[in-house]
Amino acid sequence: MPEPVVAVRALTKRFGGLVAVKSVSFEVAPGEIFGVIGPNGAGKTTLFSCLTGAQRPTSGSVHLRGARLDGLPVWAVAHRGLVRTHQIVRPFREMSVADNVAIGARFGRGHRRGADERGRIQEILARTGLAARAGSLAATLTLGELKRLEIARALATEPDVLCLDEIMGGLNPAEINAAMALVRALRDSGLTILLIEHHVHAVVGLSDRILVLNFGETIAAGRPEEALRDPAVVAAYFGDTREEAAV
Amino acid sequence: MTSKKALEATGLLAVAVALFFAPSFLERGTLNDVWSVALAVVLASSWNLLGGFAGQVSIGYSAFLGIGAYTTVLLALNGTPPVLTLPLGALLAAAFSVIIGYPTFRLRGPYFTIATIGVGEAVRVVASSLSFAGGASGLRMPAGSFDFESNFRAMTLLAVALVWIALAVSRSAFGSALAAVKQDIDAAEALGVNSTRLKVTVHALSAALVGLAGGLFAINFQYVSPGSVFDFRLSLTIVLMPIVGGVGTVAGPVLGAILFGWLQLKLLEIPALLDSSLFVYGALLIAVMLFEPKGLLGLVRRLSARRLRRFYVDA
Repeated sequence: MPEPVVAVRALTKRFGGLVAVKSVSFEVAPGEIFGVIGPNGAGKTTLFSCLTGAQRPTSGSVHLRGARLDGLPVWAVAHRGLVRTHQIVRPFREMSVADNVAIGARFGRGHRRGADERGRIQEILARTGLAARAGSLAATLTLGELKRLEIARALATEPDVLCLDEIMGGLNPAEINAAMALVRALRDSGLTILLIEHHVHAVVGLSDRILVLNFGETIAAGRPEEALRDPAVVAAYFGDTREEAAV
Repeated sequence: MTSKKALEATGLLAVAVALFFAPSFLERGTLNDVWSVALAVVLASSWNLLGGFAGQVSIGYSAFLGIGAYTTVLLALNGTPPVLTLPLGALLAAAFSVIIGYPTFRLRGPYFTIATIGVGEAVRVVASSLSFAGGASGLRMPAGSFDFESNFRAMTLLAVALVWIALAVSRSAFGSALAAVKQDIDAAEALGVNSTRLKVTVHALSAALVGLAGGLFAINFQYVSPGSVFDFRLSLTIVLMPIVGGVGTVAGPVLGAILFGWLQLKLLEIPALLDSSLFVYGALLIAVMLFEPKGLLGLVRRLSARRLRRFYVDA
C-alpha cells in the first residue's frame, strides 16, 4: 500500500461509561473509497466526528498525510483538507444554493474571491447537478438536492479527503444510483473518500475496502465481499444463528 | 445592482449633507430630538451587526457605551481633547469586547445572552465602586467642553456611517460568514469558518462604534454616572429597537430606533408616563413577536407586497 492519506491509530472515544469507539485503527490510501458500516449505534458517526475535530478522541490519534489532526478545531481540519457532510442535512436555509456553496469556497482551504470564486461555484454546481437550482433558497430543495448540496459545499472547500455521512439515506433507487455515480466521479477526479452508509448494496458497490463496526469495535475489515461474509458481521446484522439453532 | 448601490450612496450622502447643515436652519429643540434619534440609530445598528447579522443576542451593550463615556470624561478632566478621547474610548470598548468575547462566545444561544447580562451588571457594579470614576454619583465634564453643533454633527454623521457600514458588511464575504454562523454554526465551522474569531471580530467592531457614541453621549450630557450609562434598561432598549424594527436587516434597526427615539421623546412630555417606557417597549415587543416576527420592516414589506398584488391581480 502506498503512503496512506488518512491514518487512524487506536482511536477510542468514551462518553462517561459508554465506549462509543474502541481502539479502532485503519489506513486509507490516496484515491481509495473506504466504507464504514455497522448496525445503528455502532459508533460510525462518532468515528467521523473524531476524524473531523467535532469530537476530541479520548485516546489514539488521527493523521492526515502524516500530520496529527486530533485536537484541531473543525474549521482547522477543513483547512488541512479533510471535510465532512452531515447525515442530517444542515443547509443555510435562508441562503441561495450558490451562496451556500460560496461559504465553502470563501472560507475553506481555497479561500476563493471574486471571479475565481464564482467560476469555482459554477463548476461545482454543474458537477453535483445543482446548476439549475443555483438561485433557489436552500429551504425549497428536495431531500435529494439537499444531500447533493451537502456534497457541493464540502467540495467547495477543496478537500483531499471527503467524509460522506449517509448520503444515500432517504433517497429513492434512482437517486441512489445517481449518488453512487457522483461518488465514483469524485474519486476519479482524485479525491479520497470515506463513506458511512447503511445501504449495503451501495457501500459494497462503491468501496474498495470496508471497515465493519459493532458496539464501537472493529469486527471485520477488508474487501467488501469478504468482510461481509465474516461470521462476526453476519452475527452482528442478523443475530447469532448458531445460538438460535442451539435453542 | 450597481445602480442600486449608487442610489443608496447618493441617498446617504444627501442625508449626511442635510444633517451637516441642519444646525443652521433647525431650532435647538428639534436638533436635540434628532440627536437622540441618531444615538438610537447608532446603538441599534451597532448591536444589529452582532445580534442581527451573526445571531448572537447580547444584553450587555450598555457596558460599551459606558466605557466610551467614562473614557472621555476621565481624559477630558485631564485636559485631553475629544479628538483623542473619542477614538480611545472606542478602542477600549473594543478591547473589552474581545476580553469578554472569548469566554462568552463559548456559550450558545440563551446561555450566551444570560452571560452578557452578567457582564453588563458586573461592569455597572465595578464602575459604581471606583472612587477615581466618581463612584455611584459619577463625574461631571470640565466646564467649556461642550460645543453643541460639532457634537450634533458628529453623532448624526456617525448614524449615517453606521447605515453605510451595515450595508457594506451585509454584502461582504465577512457578512456571508456571519449569516452562515447565524443559520448553522456547526455547518459553518465544517466549511472552514473560524466562528469564534468571526464573532470576536464583529463584536469588537460593534463595541467600538458604541464606544464612540458613548464619548459623544458624555460630551452632550456633560455628566456620566453608572445609572446613566451602565443601566440594564439601556441594554434592554438597545436589543428591543432592532427586534421591533426588523432584526438582521439594515433598515430594520433604523426604523426601530426612529420609533423608539420618537416614543422616548413623547413619553418624556407626559410626566405621568415618564417611567413607563419599558412598559410600552415590552408591549411593542410582545406585539411584534405575536404578529410580525420580522419586525416593522417585515410589516412594511408585507403591506407593500399586498398592494402590488392588488395592483396586478385586481386591476
